[in-house]
Amino acid sequence: MMDYSEAAERISRKFAKSGQTPDLKKIEGKLRRLVDEFGVQPLEAERSVTNELAKEYNLPVPGAGSSAGSGKGGGTEEKRIAEGVPGEWVTIEGKVVGLSAPASPSIAQSGIIADESGAIRFVVWAKSNAPAMTEGSWYRIESAVVDEYKGVPNLKIHSGTTIKEITEDRSLIPTPVPIHDLRPGIGGVRAKFVQEWDASHERMLQSGLLGDETGTIKFVIWREPGREKLVPGALYNIFYAQVDEFNGRLSLNLNGATILQEEGEIAVSGGEVTVTGAIVHIAPGSGIIKRCPVEGCNRALSRQNYCPVHEIQPKFVYDLRIKGWLDDGEKTHNVLIQRDVVESLTGISLEKAQEIAENNPLGMDEVFIQMRDKILGRYITCTGREIEGRLLVNACGKVAFGTQDHTALLNRAGGAPS
Amino acid sequence: MSANQKDMGRREGQFEREPARRVFAAELRECRYQFKDGEDEKSPTFVLLPSGERSNRIFIVGTLTEKTRQGEQNIFYRGRVVDPTGTFFIMAGSYQPEAMQQLAKIETPAFVAVIGKTSVYPKPDGSGVLVSVRVESITVVDKETRDLWVLDAAKHTLDRVDTYAKELTPDMLKAKEQYPTIDPSLFRKIAYDALAQIKI
Repeated sequence: MMDYSEAAERISRKFAKSGQTPDLKKIEGKLRRLVDEFGVQPLEAERSVTNELAKEYNLPVPGAGSSAGSGKGGGTEEKRIAEGVPGEWVTIEGKVVGLSAPASPSIAQSGIIADESGAIRFVVWAKSNAPAMTEGSWYRIESAVVDEYKGVPNLKIHSGTTIKEITEDRSLIPTPVPIHDLRPGIGGVRAKFVQEWDASHERMLQSGLLGDETGTIKFVIWREPGREKLVPGALYNIFYAQVDEFNGRLSLNLNGATILQEEGEIAVSGGEVTVTGAIVHIAPGSGIIKRCPVEGCNRALSRQNYCPVHEIQPKFVYDLRIKGWLDDGEKTHNVLIQRDVVESLTGISLEKAQEIAENNPLGMDEVFIQMRDKILGRYITCTGREIEGRLLVNACGKVAFGTQDHTALLNRAGGAPS
Repeated sequence: MSANQKDMGRREGQFEREPARRVFAAELRECRYQFKDGEDEKSPTFVLLPSGERSNRIFIVGTLTEKTRQGEQNIFYRGRVVDPTGTFFIMAGSYQPEAMQQLAKIETPAFVAVIGKTSVYPKPDGSGVLVSVRVESITVVDKETRDLWVLDAAKHTLDRVDTYAKELTPDMLKAKEQYPTIDPSLFRKIAYDALAQIKI
């Protein structure tokens, strides 16, 4: 336990030299407040009070500077396909699981090569004079280059690359990837066709949503001879589909893929997800907003009441929403919280928010600030549907301090190292 | 605040936002090694925690004991946020106007939640380095939030220490190399002491 009067004496002595006589009782009170009420360590409290006094008596304070980081290099290494990083020279062994028509005369062959770790699209340059590969055969490809095209890794076979056919019999059982873990490139999933969408283009055969336990992803099949539509509600094993990325969202192009329908049923996360964490950011456009009143539109209007489709709408409708990031320390989730949840979370109703916005010099910004100050940095639990990387929150609550959690962690920390 | 909302949302979506790590002051203080992931100008910079996790951003809740306004033309604020294990050094300058205004408004002492970017600086007097947190946002919170954070930080610290004891991740190997004298099991004791300070 800290002896406050002794510490106060110590502090006051430091100022005696410069002819100051600080109030001992006041120092003691400040120390007591920091330690008892705010849980500050005694040494830090003493330091803090000393500095405060120094500032009061006009004495100096410290400063800081800046710094830099470092890089890395690479060589041609034998790798599993999933380990190839753009910019690297690699040697791989894999099976050609698909060939596609070359997109240009300078390309001799293009397709997909796979091993048990994953698959990658490859391109054989015409100038490389490489032997033609056949679908279904295994090859050892030495000194090829992993490249990146539109954010998707690509294996480039050039004149310095050696290709050897592997004649021994090898089997390849591709493993599906949870939808949540898909990355741009080539990927496979075991998923249910959960929702069919209207084809938005005449060249499109079908599009919709595939789902598994971990999430959902949009897919598209383009019109092509031999391509068939999927059956809504059915379960599929899909291998070597192309995972595309557009505006940070992934989708599956099934045209080059191997698709096998399977009997059975899987749970699809189209249901609810629950995430607990701290709100670490509240994005602009949160708080009170104005929406377009035109039937079926409901778009958010600009400050000048402008709807991107229906232009100026002076008879807008007010709404509340919070767009932000909920962070659990490992991953940050993009959340969109709708009106009734915003009301219960912030304690500010739409009516109240409207009153603040209309009677305050800062207008709608004032609502943003008040809501921010109420929830930023707080621990909350959000439940909702995850759609295209964003959690649409329909219920949420503040996390309360749990004595059991505290005890469990104390036991875990105090236990022998495992 | 509203004109280019749409663009911002789209841009944010393209990147995976860096998570805010939970770390006690006593561990963050030991950081010396900072690196960039990728050669791109915009590649994120990480501080390597001694327990072997990379941190670009952290989330802390503690007591703001002190704040100072500095600079003439380029005004910035420095502050100290203490947790049960030590002190975080925070700063907010004119490049973070919102954070600076938030910090300027807060009266010390107060419990605060801080989200910020971590970096390692050489000390001006050349006597080693200083780890500081550039504030992205700071808000006043209550004691319960502080206690929740202590649980959260203890949990993540123990997770790291346990993983370190079982199987080293690439970042943990790097940490072993960069911090040869630090035994991460030390942070287990620090987490215990921090938890023990919560009064019920």
